[in-house]
Amino acid sequence: MAVTQNRITNTTATDPLAERSVEPAKRRRGGATGTRFTFVLGAATIASMALLVLFGLFLSPADITQGESVRILYIHVGTVWVAYVAFGVTAIASALFLWKRTTSLTWDRIAGASAEVGVLFMALTLFAGSIWGRLSWGKFWVWDARVTTTAFLFITYVGYLAVRGLGGSHQQRGRRSAVVALLAVLEIPLVHFSVKLWRGLHQEASVAGTTKVQLENLMLFSLFLALIAFTLLYVWLVMHRQRVLAMQDALDDKGLDYALAARRAESSTAATTSATTTAATGGTV
Amino acid sequence: MEDIGFILSTYIATFVGSVALAWYYLRRGKRLAEQLPPEDMPWI
Repeated sequence: MAVTQNRITNTTATDPLAERSVEPAKRRRGGATGTRFTFVLGAATIASMALLVLFGLFLSPADITQGESVRILYIHVGTVWVAYVAFGVTAIASALFLWKRTTSLTWDRIAGASAEVGVLFMALTLFAGSIWGRLSWGKFWVWDARVTTTAFLFITYVGYLAVRGLGGSHQQRGRRSAVVALLAVLEIPLVHFSVKLWRGLHQEASVAGTTKVQLENLMLFSLFLALIAFTLLYVWLVMHRQRVLAMQDALDDKGLDYALAARRAESSTAATTSATTTAATGGTV
Repeated sequence: MEDIGFILSTYIATFVGSVALAWYYLRRGKRLAEQLPPEDMPWI
């Protein structure tokens, strides 16, 4: 857009937008949505991910019954953990948006950002789960209760994102999607307890579950490393996405004003240049 | 290592997916920042 190349401070003093500058932000470390905190967070995420690869693929031992395929579980459990957290955060932020005392579009944007990241991680959960199923059950997909309800949860949140994309004002978008988020989160307990409700192929929780499964120390460490690494990644992604959404909303609200001000600045500059040229040539041009 | 292809595919898909989303957010942020004044970016 032309807005980017113009400094509005050159326009007339009577212009209400004249005192505003749309000079783009200077190039910063971490991009336009980054801060020192997100930079440190990003570095910690990369380091923890590198450790996860090291422990998950090389240092942790193979399982007695699952063999090498247990390494997939570090990804599978980590991603599903983040997806649950993301959808939970979406529900909490949506409730805060609907609550009169805390109505703010920031909550709506946090809800949207979190759901978006959650959908990605839920897709990765399904992918890693299907690969693990191929190695353990001999099939990429079975209509097991846990697998089916997880797929249903994924589709529900894709629908939530579609609802966010419908037209209307930002407040309308916030109210509409908050209601959907508060209904969608009710599916999570169904997914979590589906292995107990409809005893299918999917195993119960290995840690903090009712089954007496003893995980070897390095396996347990790798699992918790995965939870930490993916949680850091989730926070980093949501912070950046929330800021991108804030910028998008600001542009939706004020973009036309900025474009008009830039156009006036262009006209003003052109008129000044023309007058200068005429004076210099003595009006013979 | 048995089934190395299957195991690696889950790691690769996860990291490629995450990096792609992060890259998209940074690029989108950069493009929007070019159209907005700094006062619309209070975190700066």
